[in-house]
Amino acid sequence: MSMGIDSDAASGVHPSADAHAEVSSWSPHVVRAGNAFDTLYAKLQPEIARLLGEYEQKRSALIPLAQLFQDHEGFVSADAIAAIAYIVDETTASVESTVSFYTLLYRRPIGKYMVQVCRNLSCMLNGAEEIMAHTRLTLGVEHLETTSDGLISYEEVECLAACDRAPCAQVNLEFVYDLTPQRVEELIAALRAGTPAFAPLAQTQTPGRSWKVDQDSGRKSRGAVGVSNPNNAGGIGDASGRAMFDLIVGRPQYEQRSDERLLRETTLRVEASENGH
Amino acid sequence: MAELITPVLTAGIGQQNFRDLEAYRSAGGYEQLRRAVVEMTPKDVADICSGSNLRGRGGAGFPTGKKWSFLPNNGRPRYLVCNCDEAEPGTFKDHMLLEETPHQIIEGILLGAYAIGCDHAFIYIRGEFKRGYEIMRDALAQARAAGFEGENVFGTGKKLRLTIHRGAGAYICGEETGLLNSLEGRRGEPRLKPPFPAVKGLYGEPTVVNNVETLAYLPYIMRNGAEWFAKAGPERSPGFKIVSISGHVVKPGNYEVAMGTTIRQLIYECAGGLRPGRSFRGVQPGGGSSACLFEEHLDVPYDFDSVAKAGSMLGSGAMVVFDDTTDFVKAAYTLIRFYSHESCGQCTPCREGGSWIERSLERLLAGGGLDSDIDVIKSAAHQLTGLNLCALGDSIEPFLASVITRYEDQFRAYVPRAAVAS
Repeated sequence: MSMGIDSDAASGVHPSADAHAEVSSWSPHVVRAGNAFDTLYAKLQPEIARLLGEYEQKRSALIPLAQLFQDHEGFVSADAIAAIAYIVDETTASVESTVSFYTLLYRRPIGKYMVQVCRNLSCMLNGAEEIMAHTRLTLGVEHLETTSDGLISYEEVECLAACDRAPCAQVNLEFVYDLTPQRVEELIAALRAGTPAFAPLAQTQTPGRSWKVDQDSGRKSRGAVGVSNPNNAGGIGDASGRAMFDLIVGRPQYEQRSDERLLRETTLRVEASENGH
Repeated sequence: MAELITPVLTAGIGQQNFRDLEAYRSAGGYEQLRRAVVEMTPKDVADICSGSNLRGRGGAGFPTGKKWSFLPNNGRPRYLVCNCDEAEPGTFKDHMLLEETPHQIIEGILLGAYAIGCDHAFIYIRGEFKRGYEIMRDALAQARAAGFEGENVFGTGKKLRLTIHRGAGAYICGEETGLLNSLEGRRGEPRLKPPFPAVKGLYGEPTVVNNVETLAYLPYIMRNGAEWFAKAGPERSPGFKIVSISGHVVKPGNYEVAMGTTIRQLIYECAGGLRPGRSFRGVQPGGGSSACLFEEHLDVPYDFDSVAKAGSMLGSGAMVVFDDTTDFVKAAYTLIRFYSHESCGQCTPCREGGSWIERSLERLLAGGGLDSDIDVIKSAAHQLTGLNLCALGDSIEPFLASVITRYEDQFRAYVPRAAVAS
């Protein structure tokens, strides 16, 4: 099980921290000639007005607006965030903060087909591990990745509320039930052949390897990665602790010690300091 | 079996297309809403609900009538929000109701809204239920065209509006204050309570959040009377309940029964029992947040109080059954990973505790665990409960604690013994 990539919705990393982030030059007052987003924005005005009319406060339309732009662009672009901020009268930072919380709002382009396999309990009891392994193998990608041709994105998700027909999955949010490795292969073959039973998602930009922003650090601190002093190691159970542990084990003076003994020693240090309080 | 199942909300599903307004009306649909709006006062409707002793079907089991009674009479606008953000592991009842009987839900919501004096209600539908959302949208358009919803319902001049709101992927939005934040266009982070939503909810106004199943029972309670509902099942936990049964059973599915049916009846008579040759090892009686129950609990009546007395909870009414092939370490890891993933990150015990246990279990499963890990997991689990803004943090521990106590040998078996010997 790889952990490093397991970023999630709660990670709110500002895109300016990211080398690939786009900066929007969208303005409600200037129409950029030939710009696809500006054309879309003008076209969607009636739908935007309808959404605003559903709520007592404009901000409630924030998520529906993000969904609306995503439906047309395939993801929530920097332009869309700027436009939403203008429509609901909030800052772009505030919109970004909300959008980054939700797993079904993508801030980077995804494939034309989003395959989401359930990894929760009832599916697990009925063979989800095999289904996931088979899907990864067939697609040639890992959890939270898109195939190199930009066609299919793959994610392992939590309970989809279809446990009576486990193992289950969704393709573009349409349910697929009673999965077997063979059904997975048929499904993916159909998606690749371009004759699927599922409508493709909008795709206005070529997706990268993953749609997650800052997929490496996720929500938790990377802590002591790269630190050589064992006393500065992060938590024993977390990724930084494991990286630290590997560093320690790799040092000549520790070569003769077993993993068990090393762990006991580092654990004892932690307990001693806790007892001191 | 036949007499165990008591279809109320599930009556006719699979035989009739209740997505169609006329089909629903010919089965008596919207008649109770008409009666309420045209002939009754809101208080009459609220009194019938209170008299039925209906308790919330979303997880906490709070008496619905009492929840409504907490709304202050301050002349402010009031809101009713129907919680259809079903995402509790093992639960799939609202998913079915949404796709099969959308009009029943609309009628229930509008009855609830009328009863509490709210003229604009909301239904928050889980983002993954795209098809359910479309079905609900079409059903609402039919109801609106027929004059059952809108600015002038049944020609009375009264306003009862319903807005459908789609979520965007976050389990925590099933928590009522997280849901309200999400509905206001914010991150779905639960709020500090008090003030409770009844006092300060949506847009800072008095708000009631009720589950889909809770509200869907209202038309039937109105039709058959409070007594009918109150007399089914135990006195303090009456009525009917859709139980979602999955896991290692022959016939997984939704079974609507009277409260107080035993867990054994549900597993062996409704869901067809275990697969041939397999034996029973445990059942999670109320979704991912509930503690596991074992052989000695099979005759516990399935109602809020009895399941709580047995040391677990009825929760959302989702039973996951485990047979002797179950790896309880993997089962616990799967659920802990879920809570760790879905933690909104506001409260340290939940955010760090959940991911810490997840990574410890992951290391154990990968063959790098220690005996001391198991002791630490056992002690750490008890330090999560009651220290968080919402119940998500409290949900991490119960299942793990129950199975690590019962099946500690399975956990110890993952510790590589050769490494210890060296």
